[in-house]
Amino acid sequence: MQRLILKRLGLMVVMLLGLAVITFTVANIAPGDPARLAAGPDASPDMVEKIRVERGFDRALPVRFGLYLGQLAQGDLGTSVYTGRPVAQDIAVFLPATIELVLFSILIAVVLGVPFGVLAAVWQNHLPDHAIRFLSVSGVALPMFWLGLMLQWYLSLELGLFPLGGRLGTFDDVPTTITGMISIDALLVGDLATAGTALMHMVLPATALSFPALAAIIRVNRAEMLEVLGRDYVVNARAQGIGPFRIIAIYALKNAILPTLAMIGLRFGWMLGGTVLVESVFDFPGIGLYAAKAAISSDFEPIMAVTLILGAAFMLTNLLIDLMYALLDPRVRNQI
Amino acid sequence: MTDHPLLDIRDFSLVFDTFDGTYHAIDGVNLSLQPGEALGLVGETGCGKSVLTRAAFGLVPSPPARITGGSVQLQGRELLGLSDRALRQVRGREVAMIFQDPMTYLNPVFRVGTQLVDAIRAQSGGQTKRDEAKAIALDMLEKVQLPNPNRQFAAYPHELSGGMRQRVLIAMALAAKPKLLIADEPTTALDVTIQAQILDLMAELVADMGLTMIMISHDLGVVAQVCSRIAVMYAGKIVEDAPVARIFDAPAHPYTKGLLAALPHPFRRQDRLESIPGTLPDLLHPPAGCLFAARCPHAAPICAKPVPMRRIDDSHRVACTLYDPAREKDRADA
Repeated sequence: MQRLILKRLGLMVVMLLGLAVITFTVANIAPGDPARLAAGPDASPDMVEKIRVERGFDRALPVRFGLYLGQLAQGDLGTSVYTGRPVAQDIAVFLPATIELVLFSILIAVVLGVPFGVLAAVWQNHLPDHAIRFLSVSGVALPMFWLGLMLQWYLSLELGLFPLGGRLGTFDDVPTTITGMISIDALLVGDLATAGTALMHMVLPATALSFPALAAIIRVNRAEMLEVLGRDYVVNARAQGIGPFRIIAIYALKNAILPTLAMIGLRFGWMLGGTVLVESVFDFPGIGLYAAKAAISSDFEPIMAVTLILGAAFMLTNLLIDLMYALLDPRVRNQI
Repeated sequence: MTDHPLLDIRDFSLVFDTFDGTYHAIDGVNLSLQPGEALGLVGETGCGKSVLTRAAFGLVPSPPARITGGSVQLQGRELLGLSDRALRQVRGREVAMIFQDPMTYLNPVFRVGTQLVDAIRAQSGGQTKRDEAKAIALDMLEKVQLPNPNRQFAAYPHELSGGMRQRVLIAMALAAKPKLLIADEPTTALDVTIQAQILDLMAELVADMGLTMIMISHDLGVVAQVCSRIAVMYAGKIVEDAPVARIFDAPAHPYTKGLLAALPHPFRRQDRLESIPGTLPDLLHPPAGCLFAARCPHAAPICAKPVPMRRIDDSHRVACTLYDPAREKDRADA
């Protein structure tokens, strides 16, 4: 087990290096002159050239990549031209918001997706199945940002049920920063009202963000349950007189959840990417919105940092999922 | 022997509603078992042996299956039409089943002990406490001669061999001290030496516990080892039903004769084993008469009419026109 974790962490470093190469190349061949941007709109050509040399923008790409890696190795993520602050500082502010949003979204997707998948399988080709399949097809078909806009327009503007965007209202007090996740911080200091407000702010973006994942989880779990419910050990359990609830919720689900887990891991990655769209729609100050603004202004170092951090988060989640696999399936456990 | 059979299946018919039409899987089967009897149900793959015994106790999902008639009585109590809950109790307490492939009938992600305890508790309708169930389970593992029961109790199925798993399944099935045991090809998936061990064990347990048993198999040899009576099924019907010795010495139905001819003989030199020409009839559109007629060397015009089961003597029944007095008359007329 420990060996597996160490091996995977080692592999992660290699994969992150690959990710860095790709992102670095793409960000640099994209149009836009970083020196020009850094210098500001009013700078003279001389000043732009000066900044170009000063920041090393004039050197060859591999050299710059080497320098960038050296800088990363020292724990320096660079400076954002756009915010004017160190990238590390920006990320410390924005990352917790995104983690909070993504965790909330994953929670929605799993808590609804798994039971819906089970229900659809148990009621295959009956009304609950049709309804749930309609939901899951919509989830796959509707673009996240469009769904976000529609939710915002109808539930927020028309009905006024939820706030339009942001993490808290303009006049709400932000609780003391502990984890940076407002709802959790508020709970930790016992401020239920603020925790509630923070959650209400997350309902719409989290719904938009979780919908495609929800759809995928339902579909995988439904298919897998159907398969497992037809297996011999289910017949045997029924022959022993074991009741349907126990058979479905325990005997079958523990087998069917395994592929669903893998799907959850993959969808987590999609969600991290989706935050770029959803946070923009809901003006949710997370790392996605930060990345979107950085990309628009060709702010190179934040783009690199966000990509690497999201990549690492995705890899860590999937390592975690693999470990959960081993926890649930003794056959996998023996192999590691 | 008492007059009341333990299990009495009468005119049992079952169809599957498929995309292509109605598949007549079981057609008017009559079968009854006296307490303590061991019946072998034989026939080729797809003849309806497993479906019959599973459907009788509510184990075939409906739809697509649909029971179209008949009755199934266990100790005089009608089972068809019982609620799911009531059937579950019957399955747990009175009828036990052992299946073909021990590799796939245990849940791979739960410990053997957990599955045994769950089954034992379910069999008693939740009356048995967890630690009592564990004691029963360990006792049963001992009874099925599983080496080192305490260790196997904590093992996962994939850590056990096929023979060991089949022993676990037997322990599970017999823990509730059922009256009827249905063994659905319990040794088919095992290699020959293990097969013999399991058959010995089953014969021993059946005698010890005074069980009534139906053993399903396509292997006449296996059935002869354990059973006293054999019922031969063909295409969803029982075509012959007689004591083991009669089946081997004086088979009446041409299909049974064909099956026996297909067995290798220990003293005769044979280059090739006999086989029965042709294949199973299309059960989406079954013919009205004998289903075996198309493959039968003795087929006659009369075989196109429905063929009832006919008693040759007290213990021997057969569904064949060869034993129909009308056959000769029919031939004479023609």
